[in-house]
Amino acid sequence: MTLTPEEISALCLSAKVSAWATLLSCPLAIAMGWVLARKQFFGKPLVDALFHLPLVLPPPVPGYLLLMSFGNQGGMGRWLNEHWGFSFAFNWKGAALAAAVMSFPLMLGPVRLSFKLIGSQLEDAARTLGANPWSVFFTVTLPLALPGILSGTLLAFSRSLGEFGATITFVGNIEGETRTLPLAIYTAKNLPDGEDMALRLIILSLALAFGALLANDWLARHIERRLGMK
Amino acid sequence: MLDLNIDIRLQRGSFPVEMAVRITEPVSGVFGHSGSGKTTLLHCIAGLVKPDSGHMKLNGEIFFDVAKKQFTPPHKRHIGLVFQDAQLFPHLSVLNNLLYGYRRLKPIQRRFELKPVVELLEIGPLLERRPGQLSGGEKQRVALGRALLYSPQLLLLDEPLAALDGRLKRQILPFLRRVRDVGIPMLYVSHALDEILYLTQTVTLVDHGRIVGHGSCLDALTQADSTELADGMDLRNVWEVTILENNRQHGFSVAALGKQRIILPPAPASEGKTAIVSVRAAQIALSRQRIEGITIQNQLPGRILRIVSRRHGALVEIDAGVVVVAEVNGKTVGDLNLREGDGVYCLIKAQSVEYPDG
Repeated sequence: MTLTPEEISALCLSAKVSAWATLLSCPLAIAMGWVLARKQFFGKPLVDALFHLPLVLPPPVPGYLLLMSFGNQGGMGRWLNEHWGFSFAFNWKGAALAAAVMSFPLMLGPVRLSFKLIGSQLEDAARTLGANPWSVFFTVTLPLALPGILSGTLLAFSRSLGEFGATITFVGNIEGETRTLPLAIYTAKNLPDGEDMALRLIILSLALAFGALLANDWLARHIERRLGMK
Repeated sequence: MLDLNIDIRLQRGSFPVEMAVRITEPVSGVFGHSGSGKTTLLHCIAGLVKPDSGHMKLNGEIFFDVAKKQFTPPHKRHIGLVFQDAQLFPHLSVLNNLLYGYRRLKPIQRRFELKPVVELLEIGPLLERRPGQLSGGEKQRVALGRALLYSPQLLLLDEPLAALDGRLKRQILPFLRRVRDVGIPMLYVSHALDEILYLTQTVTLVDHGRIVGHGSCLDALTQADSTELADGMDLRNVWEVTILENNRQHGFSVAALGKQRIILPPAPASEGKTAIVSVRAAQIALSRQRIEGITIQNQLPGRILRIVSRRHGALVEIDAGVVVVAEVNGKTVGDLNLREGDGVYCLIKAQSVEYPDG
């Protein structure tokens, strides 16, 4: 099976967009996951619900909201453009932002759960051995949460590969810029003789998704062994 | 040296905790039932829990004072804590667990080095392993080593044996004694009085979120008079003896207890070695004269130091070279007209003597 330049471009773009989306959400998911797992504060259910909204909303809704806020006419978008010369509009960065927003709850879930499962007693033990709060986090909490973080990251990456609705609403379907694999499949299917191409892209997507899930499983087991959990 | 001065109040769930005590004895126990607030006290001392009000001072340094808005976080207190279930870091090897606190000390603060601690606790073969591959007793020894290597100015032990079965307990007890003898001030929390008495005769009694007594066992008991906790205290004598003779033919041993000789069940130690023996106070009878024609072989002469009456009897403290505490029926004290300063014989059946760590 040989791939046309268009298909290769879609594949590379998908990988780039998903990688950046995951990279973007990872630190935030770790911070939010920790806060949600450990802290009680007013309005916590609201914050929790807000982050999970993309999971249940029709994807064009977050896409449209992104367009309104981060598009060239949107408040945030205009500010970023004026002050930093940075734009999300109709380019791959916007696609990455859309993928990050949509996949964030999938990363947050496992990260939060793994923080919750680490007994606070282990952290107490570290504190009574002279470790300051940052030290406790980086030498005890974070390493022990690693399997959850990794699993969340791979899940979010896989979800980003498949992101369609929010992306097409926010940044459109521009070849080489925002046409990721799912958008390419959609485009090919609408071409009169694009069925071959669609089929090839579908097989590619299947292989990619399977690969990511298997890698997730393997990594999780490997890390658990290394952490002495099994 | 230890001078711990604590006076704190806080709400724990539904019950108020109000504890005030000054502890200057280097090694002491905290005794109370489960849920009485012992662990809360320990966590307040370590700084893991912040009381609502009051103050706490350790060796002249203020760690908590609500009036001065002062609170020192645990990592700046230099107080070690050994947890009931060891709480070893599962992602680190035993060696890195041991060095976790040690590495955070300036070289000048280090009172112990890895090698002697590893030898003291006999954990050399475990260094490369992960905590998941250790037995419960091994974990607890590593946890002790980890705390020791942090050279704390005070070592808190929170029921370190509670998760172990009887056989393992016996194996760990001698290590606790070794840790005690390296000279770090220790506070040993337990709901098992025999464990505390094995290490020290000084106790702080905690009952329903309050400290009801502190001092030597008898002093604390007197202060905590008529609480259910004090009534239920099963006092024990714990002595160190030197084995003089192991008579295998007749199945007994002879040992030196102070200047006296005492007949014991077959000792787990060989001749010339020391052993720890324990006898329940309630197993010791008193008589005015030496009694002939009786199977009780040990009749230690001594002088009564004091008599403390409690709800179901009286505790008699006797100086017999070593301090002996006997618990007798309150009526017999009157019948025999026992008074402080009187000479008595402590009758101890050989079979009532136990080896708590043998």
